[in-house]
Amino acid sequence: MAAPEALAAPLVALKDVDFAYDTRPVLRRISFALEAGDFVGIVGPNGSGKSTLVDLIDGIHQPAAGQVLVKGRPTGKYRRRDMAREVALVPQHFDLDFDLAVREVVEMGSYCLGKDPAVCGDPELTLARLGVGHLTSRRFSELSGGEKQLVVLAQALMQQAPLLLLDEPASALDVSHQLRLFDLLKELNADGLTVLCILHDLNLALHYFDKLLVLSDGEVAAFGPPEDVLQPEVVEAVYGVRAYLHRHAGRTYLTFSPRLRGERRGRVHLVCGGGTGAGMMRELVDAGYEVTAGVLNALDTDEETGSELGLHMAVEAPFSPVGDEAHAENVELMRASDLVVVSAVPVSHGNARNIEAAREALAAGIPVWADEGVRVNDFAGATGELAGAGARFFAGEGALLAAVRGRSLGGGPSALSAASGRVAAPLEHGSSAGPSMSGPLGPEDRPPGPAT
Amino acid sequence: MTKLARTGAWPGILLASGILLVCLVLALALGPASLSIGRIWDLLMAGPVKGNLDNAIFWQIRMPRVLVAALVGAALAVAGVILQDLFLNPLTDPYVTGVSSGAALGATIGIVLHLSNLPWITVLAIVGGLGTLALVWMAARRRGRIDIFVLLLAGVTISYLASAVVTVMMIKANEDMTAIIYWLMGSFSGRGWPDVRIALVTIPFMIAPLFFTREMDILLQGEKRALELGVEVERTKRLLLVTAGVLTALAVSVSGIIAFVGLVIPHVVRLMIGPGHRGLLPVSLLAGASLMVLADLLSRTVISPNEIPVGVVTTFIGAPLFVYLLRRGRRA
Repeated sequence: MAAPEALAAPLVALKDVDFAYDTRPVLRRISFALEAGDFVGIVGPNGSGKSTLVDLIDGIHQPAAGQVLVKGRPTGKYRRRDMAREVALVPQHFDLDFDLAVREVVEMGSYCLGKDPAVCGDPELTLARLGVGHLTSRRFSELSGGEKQLVVLAQALMQQAPLLLLDEPASALDVSHQLRLFDLLKELNADGLTVLCILHDLNLALHYFDKLLVLSDGEVAAFGPPEDVLQPEVVEAVYGVRAYLHRHAGRTYLTFSPRLRGERRGRVHLVCGGGTGAGMMRELVDAGYEVTAGVLNALDTDEETGSELGLHMAVEAPFSPVGDEAHAENVELMRASDLVVVSAVPVSHGNARNIEAAREALAAGIPVWADEGVRVNDFAGATGELAGAGARFFAGEGALLAAVRGRSLGGGPSALSAASGRVAAPLEHGSSAGPSMSGPLGPEDRPPGPAT
Repeated sequence: MTKLARTGAWPGILLASGILLVCLVLALALGPASLSIGRIWDLLMAGPVKGNLDNAIFWQIRMPRVLVAALVGAALAVAGVILQDLFLNPLTDPYVTGVSSGAALGATIGIVLHLSNLPWITVLAIVGGLGTLALVWMAARRRGRIDIFVLLLAGVTISYLASAVVTVMMIKANEDMTAIIYWLMGSFSGRGWPDVRIALVTIPFMIAPLFFTREMDILLQGEKRALELGVEVERTKRLLLVTAGVLTALAVSVSGIIAFVGLVIPHVVRLMIGPGHRGLLPVSLLAGASLMVLADLLSRTVISPNEIPVGVVTTFIGAPLFVYLLRRGRRA
C-alpha cells in the first residue's frame, strides 16, 4: 500500500516546524523523528506547546513553517479518514453532554475503518483488553473519571492506527489507575504500537519511557533517554525549580524544591549526623536558606542527603572521629553562616569536636540554636557548656524550624522571641544584602542556576 | 430507555410509525363531518372522485391539510435534531438560525404587495429564509471553517433585525396587519395540493441526514474529537446546516412560524431512546409529524367552527412538557 520511499521514512518526522495561534508563536524550530515501536514521553511546563505539538502530528493544525510528515507524507495531504487510520489520539479533556452507551462511544473509534464488522474490531474485546470489559453496556455518563479515560483509550485503539498519541492521560487518575494505564501502554508498545505520551509526572516519565522529549517555551530542550534528559540542571532550566536526584531501591527519583538557587534568605550551618539532620536540611533548603553541614562521616545518612541536595559540607572518612582538617573546615563554614543549628544528634567522643566548634561560633558572635535532644544523648558531656555560652534550646525539631522560619512569631515565649529576634535580624539583613552573604562560597562551588 | 438503545433503532421506529398512523387516521376521520374508519378506507381506495361531498372533504380538504401538517412537523423535528447537535445544546430550535424570521420577512413583503398566496408569498418566504441562511453563513465563515457560535449569534441578531422590519411593515400597511399576524402565528387552514407539492420537497432533505448518522454521533463529542476520529468535520457541518436551513425555510413557507415542535420533539425522543442518531433521527421525524397532525386536529376541532392557531396548540402542549423535562434535569 505504501510507496517504497514511505517504507524507508520514519513514522513521524518534524522538520524545523514553527506554529503560531494567530500571532502568538507556540512552537519554534521543532525537529525530531519517531520510529515505529518508539515509546516516547513528552514533558514540559504548562504552556510549553505540548498539546499543540500533538495536534500538529495528528494534522489538526498545519505548521506555519517546516514540515510535519507521517509516513513520509505531509499531514496536510491526508484526508481525515486516512489520517485517523495512521494516528490515534487520546485527548486531555473528554466528556459527553449526551448520554450514550459505552459500547456506542467505543464503536465510534472504528469510523475511519468503514462499516465492515470484520475489519472494525469488537468494542467489547477492546475494552476487555484494557481490563474493563464489564463496562461495555454501562452508560458513559455513569462512569468514574478513571473509567472514562480507559473508555476513550479503547475508542482510540479501535482506530487500529500504528501511532498512539496521548495528551496527559494520567492527569485525572489516582495512583493505581495511573500505574495500570502506563503498564497497559507498555504492553501495547510491546505488541508493536508506537506511543507518544504527554505527561507531567517526571518520575513516571523517568521510569516508564524509553525516550523523553522535553519542551520548553515552544522549543525542544532535550530529546533522548530519560536518565540523560532529566538531569537536575535541565529540570531547573526548564521548570524554574530546584531538582534533586535520589537513588532508592535501585531506582532514580527526582524531588523538587520550589525555590531557585541564588534566591537565598540566609545561611544556616547544621551540626547533625545519623539521620537526625536530614529532615531539617530539606526543610531549610526548601525554605530558601543556604545550608552547610558538618562534620559528617562519609556514608552517614545525613551526609548522603546533603550530597543529594548539593550542600557544602565538612566531611570525615567513614566511621572515623573528627580529624583536625575536617574540624578546621567545619569552623570555617560555621563562621561564614548566620546561624548554627544543632540537631538531636547523639554526641560521643568521635563527634564531640562539632559541639566544641559550635561553642567557638558562639564566641565569635554567631547564634547557636540546638534541639533539646542533643543534651539527652550526650555521651561525652560536651553539651553542658553550650547553654552557658549562650546557646538556645528548643523542644524538638519542629519548634526549632518554626523559630528559624517564623521571624514574625513575635508572640511566643519570651526566651524564644528574644532569641529569634536577635537572630532574625541578621538573617533578614542577609537576604537583602544578597551577595555579601554568599561571600565565603565561591561561585564555582554552586551548581549552575537557571538559564535566566 | 437503555434497553431500546441496545436492541437497535427498530422498535422505536415501529412504535413511532404506529403512533403516526393512528394520528393520521384520527385527523382524516374527525372534523365537522366525521368519517368512520371503514369510510376512510373506502374513500382511500376510491381515489378522488368528483361530485361526492365526503370524497371532496376527504381528498380536497383533509388529506392535503393533514399531509402538509405531517411533512412540516417532520421537517421541523429533523431540523431541530440537527441544530441541537451542531450547537451541542439541547435548548436550540430550528428558528435560532434566523431562517424563520427571514422567511417571515419574505412572506410579509408578499402580503403587503398583495401577491397571491401561491406561488408568490410562499416563494418569497423561501427566498427570505434561504437568503438569511446565506447571510448568517457568510458571517460565521472564518478561514474556510464555519464557527458554530458566531453562527448562533449572527442568527439571533439577523432574526431580531428581520422581526423589526416586519413590525415596521405591519404598522405601515395597516390593512394587512391581520393577514401578517395570522401568517406569523402559523396555520394549516386551507392548505391544498399545491402546498403539499412544496412540502414534499422536504423529503429528500429529511432522508439525507439519515446517511450521516455515524458522523452526527461522533460530532456529539465536539468538532475536534470528530476530526481526530477521521470525520471531515467542515464538510459534514456544511451539509447538515444547509439541510436544516432548507427544511426550516420550506416548513415555515407553507405553514408560518409554529413554535415548540422543533425544540421539544428531539428533546423528548432523546430522553426516550437515547442520543444515537440511527434511532433519534427517524423517530423524531415520525414523532414530529404525529405531534403536528394531532395539534392541527385539535386546532380545528376544539372550538369548531372557529380555529385556534396551531402554533398556540403546540405551545400549550409543548411548554408544560418542556418545563417538566427541564426540571427532571439535564440527562439528555
